[in-house]
Amino acid sequence: MSIRMKRRVAGIPIFLLLLIIALIVLLPVLWMMISSFKPAKEIISFPPTLFFKEFSLENYLRLSKRLKIFSYVQNSLIYATLTTLPSVFICSLAGYAFARFQFKGRNFLFITVLATMMIPFQVIMIPLFLVVKTMGMYDSYAGLILPKLAVAISIFMMRSAFVALPKELDEAGRIDGVTEFGLYWKIMLPQVVPTMITMMILGVNAAWNDLMWPLLVTGTTKMRTLANGLALFIGSDTSEYGPAFAGALISIMPMLVLYIIGQRYFVEGAVTSGLKG
Amino acid sequence: MEMSIGKKHLRKRMVPYLFIAPVMLLLLVFNIVPLLGAFGTSLFDITTTLNNSTFLGLGNFQEVFTDWRFWNSLKVTFKWTIVEVPIQLFIAISLAGLLTKNTKSNKIFRAIYFMPIICSATATGIMWKLILHSNVGYVTYMFRLLGFGKINFMNNSDITIYVIVFMSVWKTFGISTTILIGAMQNVPNSLYEAADIDNCGKFKQFFYITLPSVKPTLWFLVMTRVIGSFQVFDIVYTTTGGGPNYTTETLVSYIYTRGFEINRMGYASALSIVLLAIVLLITLVMYTAMLRRETD
Repeated sequence: MSIRMKRRVAGIPIFLLLLIIALIVLLPVLWMMISSFKPAKEIISFPPTLFFKEFSLENYLRLSKRLKIFSYVQNSLIYATLTTLPSVFICSLAGYAFARFQFKGRNFLFITVLATMMIPFQVIMIPLFLVVKTMGMYDSYAGLILPKLAVAISIFMMRSAFVALPKELDEAGRIDGVTEFGLYWKIMLPQVVPTMITMMILGVNAAWNDLMWPLLVTGTTKMRTLANGLALFIGSDTSEYGPAFAGALISIMPMLVLYIIGQRYFVEGAVTSGLKG
Repeated sequence: MEMSIGKKHLRKRMVPYLFIAPVMLLLLVFNIVPLLGAFGTSLFDITTTLNNSTFLGLGNFQEVFTDWRFWNSLKVTFKWTIVEVPIQLFIAISLAGLLTKNTKSNKIFRAIYFMPIICSATATGIMWKLILHSNVGYVTYMFRLLGFGKINFMNNSDITIYVIVFMSVWKTFGISTTILIGAMQNVPNSLYEAADIDNCGKFKQFFYITLPSVKPTLWFLVMTRVIGSFQVFDIVYTTTGGGPNYTTETLVSYIYTRGFEINRMGYASALSIVLLAIVLLITLVMYTAMLRRETD
């Protein structure tokens, strides 16, 4: 055998190992997708089936009867977009100021921002809940969204993006006599669009999947988001397997589509921010 | 004339503050005030309605240290950390080593491994809970076919914690792998070329060149994973809720239960302060260890 052939043969066990791990990742998701289209009696039958024998939308109908699923999806959409868009905007403003302006207290304020990154959300969740409640924002969109807008890691990422831009850019703008906001908005911001897309995608994914804060700050069914409404549903009634499958699939699908379109931004975000799982 | 120049100058000086004002205001109200508030509320017996609060001084903290459920949850959290972090890192290091090159098949594997990032803890919980369900689960059925008998994965005081650790690894190993691949691709090629001349095998190269070169990233991963382990809540909430017999009740799960199900906000705040102290201590110890290693 040639050396090349030997290398090829040696690579087979490795390839098989990688393939098995890929299957461990994919098969559960596929099984769940398929099972969500099984009729209820097939789901509880023994032995369990791999593929559905009979295609049925029963689980989805049951789910929409048992839960306000449309309202959950709507709230998740509102939470994801109205958190992410303003957040990227104000964090880019701050990141820009920390990167391109000299001002008194800059270092102190930036360190304060970074310090908040060190404090786990779980540590402040109880007093945060009390603050939001005292402000009369319990069980409202404002209560859901406002505390999630200022994100230290986003400010940090935006600052890094703006620091990397050449100095000539603002000089050129200043000569043309644009305002400071115009300089940021028309000249600087377009340069960091990839960073902004990364932040938006990560933000939408995080908010769409967020369980804890919506769980704490919403109290009525009409304010529930998909992730926390479903969690409460399976918590209270574990015998509803079919609708649980259907609900989980509904919660995964939009992000899966986003992942297929924008995988590169997910990876970019993971590498630059080392995001938590 | 002079006034207007002064004004213009002042306005210009105000610009950066206007840019950072929205973020700073929000951080103040929703991060800094609650953090200080945590210390305040931990001294009271207080409910979600904020009525009838009684000052306890350090009473809550005294109670924490004699509370068996606190010690239990701390034990569970430590167990989680000791099992999850090494497994996660071992898998990530091995896979990153195998997938460093940008070949087509490697790119596909990476994309697949990273995919669970889009699954919410709720979806992950539902999915695995049903796959491992003692009656309807497919994996349980396969184990039965293989002659293991009927295993109750989700309701067993000895193994359920490890089953949830597995779910957590399933959901996040792709992220650690991706971060490491990024670091490994930045190792200068000249190092490997020198090794090739010395006839140093691929395996040896990995241990003597690749791993030492990505040490800062490894430290970063260890630190974030350990700190993350002390914040575990979601996957426990959506699978076992802390059961059976509190064997999967982590520190944050217990804080949640005390605060929102038993409605003792002051006591839960005291627990949060203890959590903060632990996290800061771990960060400090690991950070100094890292610095010492680097200067050696």
